[in-house]
Amino acid sequence: MWRLNKVRHKAGGHANSLEELRTKRREKERALRQARRDRQLVSKRLLRNEDEEQDTMEVTPGEQDVVTLFQKLHHGGTEKEAFLRPLSKALRNPSAQLTFIKLENSMHLLVGLLTGSDARCRLQAVRCLHELSHSTHTSVASACLPATPYLLTYLSGQSTKFTELCLYTLGNICPDSETVKERLLAQGIIPALAGCMQNHRHNLAVVEAAGFALFQLLQSKDAVQKVIPSVRSGLPSQLLSVLTPDPDFGLAPAIECAWYTGFFHLCTFLINCGALRQCGSLLVSLGGAVADGNTDQGVELLVCPLLRCVGNLLSSCPAETLHSQLGGVDLVAPLCELVVALIHTLPTLARETAWVLNNLTAHSTESCSALLTLNLVPRLLELLPFSQGINTMVLRVLANVAHKKKEFCIQLAELGLLSALTATLKMADQDIVTLSLEVLFMMIVSSPQIAEQFVSQGGLSVLEAIQYNSDGEVRRRATYLLEQHILREK
Amino acid sequence: MLQPDLLQLMAMGGSQTRNGDEEEGFREAAEQQEEGNPFTFNPQLLRLHRDHELFEDGDVFRHMYLQDLFMSEAEDDISPLPPDLFLSVSEFGCHISGCRAVFSTLDEYEHHYNSLHRHVCCSCRRSLPSARLLDIHIQEWHDSLFTILAQKQDMYLCLVEGCGQKFRTSQQRKDHLIRLHKYPPDFRFDKNRKEKGTREASREQRTNTTMEAADDVCRSEGVCEVMCSVESNQLEQEESMETHASSEEAAQFEDFSASAQTPETNTEQLKPKYSYRFVVPKTVCFGHGSVRGFRGQRGRRK
Repeated sequence: MWRLNKVRHKAGGHANSLEELRTKRREKERALRQARRDRQLVSKRLLRNEDEEQDTMEVTPGEQDVVTLFQKLHHGGTEKEAFLRPLSKALRNPSAQLTFIKLENSMHLLVGLLTGSDARCRLQAVRCLHELSHSTHTSVASACLPATPYLLTYLSGQSTKFTELCLYTLGNICPDSETVKERLLAQGIIPALAGCMQNHRHNLAVVEAAGFALFQLLQSKDAVQKVIPSVRSGLPSQLLSVLTPDPDFGLAPAIECAWYTGFFHLCTFLINCGALRQCGSLLVSLGGAVADGNTDQGVELLVCPLLRCVGNLLSSCPAETLHSQLGGVDLVAPLCELVVALIHTLPTLARETAWVLNNLTAHSTESCSALLTLNLVPRLLELLPFSQGINTMVLRVLANVAHKKKEFCIQLAELGLLSALTATLKMADQDIVTLSLEVLFMMIVSSPQIAEQFVSQGGLSVLEAIQYNSDGEVRRRATYLLEQHILREK
Repeated sequence: MLQPDLLQLMAMGGSQTRNGDEEEGFREAAEQQEEGNPFTFNPQLLRLHRDHELFEDGDVFRHMYLQDLFMSEAEDDISPLPPDLFLSVSEFGCHISGCRAVFSTLDEYEHHYNSLHRHVCCSCRRSLPSARLLDIHIQEWHDSLFTILAQKQDMYLCLVEGCGQKFRTSQQRKDHLIRLHKYPPDFRFDKNRKEKGTREASREQRTNTTMEAADDVCRSEGVCEVMCSVESNQLEQEESMETHASSEEAAQFEDFSASAQTPETNTEQLKPKYSYRFVVPKTVCFGHGSVRGFRGQRGRRK
């Protein structure tokens, strides 16, 4: 069992030094990035036996042992469990896995043991299947298909350990091919998961496993069709109820459930379940923890899917019901604090936070007003030097504020937005320059004093230079601003 | 950053005043009334597809955790994300089209712009160090009236401000500068204007290569001329724009045509550090209302 509060370095062996570990992580990270770009980002989880954790010097049996063990199992007898244990260990070896599935009747045997009357054999059989499911070869996962109807049936059983293994096994084989997914859906995996979660709702390990299986199921390109049945089974509200992290158990189940809620197509259903308020307030408390520096629990792992969830929910919520949906949860200040807190530790999460802020402020005058009255603008201005899309998103938020009212523009000018703009207008990134011109236009149009202030800060020469920019749209805007609004005043 | 194909924008801001009286919506009204207003910003809810680039790092973060590669900061002094994801600060970039200089600080940007893109002659695109020298340049080089008058009277003004003496020829002025004002004989900003060479047919290619060579960050030490080349398609037929030699180093006005053919010799002599070109789109040139910047309207096509 993995838990966040235990340090586990199971990534393929035992790294001897910190440097090796770092290099390995970096390589892995690069591979994951490329996989995502290829739309093939898939991960599997391996549940290890607790009593095996101490076996670090264990010799992994080779392929030959697999064949031997299989033959011994095949020939019957009452000592099956004695052979199943070593078999499951042997099946950790990738080539042993391939050998095994090619043996005639091997899967048939396993399924038989899985469904037999010996409970201990069942457990060991499912362990073997679990090891097989962790393989990266799609042929191995497909070979496990005969077992799936039984695995699904067992989800409504009572044995927690066994259920957990079934869930992770199913979750592992899900993403391997569309055929497998379709088969599982036809066999009713979603109602089974919903039922399982309901039955085992007090066992957070099982809940975590079910959340993982659901996440894996929804990873496909056409996840939309799969999401809808989950709604009919009542999963959204169930998963929402798991979202609050358990102080003893840790964040892991909440993390899995939060990723489910991040699916955009669930938004309408989630909103109806009051998700905006719940996820919003959770985000506030977690964000507070992050801002205070309490990140040793890995709380960012939960913040990330929650940001997705809230960002998506905000984009689907009609503006007029936004504040009633939020139910008094004030997101403006916590989100700003979160952006500032994350900017140096996890800048990409900071960018996502800014995205959520944009969706919050786009059509809400109250939120924009709060930004001003709570004196959050100077902190946002401090974020404008940072690139990789952070400053563009933050400036977009400020643009949302400026767009609402002329008084807001005047206040923004007093808080220093104009001088920030004279800097952002000089940046190399065309996106930020274009957006800066838009904001500048709104500011100048709202008050003649702002135009004067801009000129006195040396803004004219910047605009003049921009008239020579290679982008025609940028040139047009600069010229228009100069001719129609600044130079006319004189 | 926001990839159009993955970005669904719902411009709900439009003409709906959803927040009732509070949102004044004055902008839409004002914008529609002003003709030719290019500004289009409206607050927008950003609905991002889950494969969107914005979410890439978060997803990778998630999968690192699934594959047990996550470590929180407190353990082993390894931060959760490797260094290549660390924060980066925006660079500043010179706006002038074709000038590719980038800078890491505002000061560098300002210095670059003020040194090299100010006081530029509209006609021949040369950059002069001060407004006064620009005026003198325009007068002496691009004013046909000056040429006529110079045949009969002293027109060449001493370059030292406050001296006020005028001379019949530029050589005489030069002598004056050397004798009286102790100027060096090869002072950059007093060159005789010679006959222009023929235009080169293969302007474009040469320009492009020199552009590439000049990709370094500009520190603009010493003043060097910024020579403009006609690069964009729009400007190819612009007869008022003179095509110049590819010699970025040609601080010497006089060997204008010579430098067109022999850039190598000039390189040795002057060793400027950087070179760049900028292109002025033909539709844009500063008018009379402009406070500072480019002067000289001769030959400019409106």
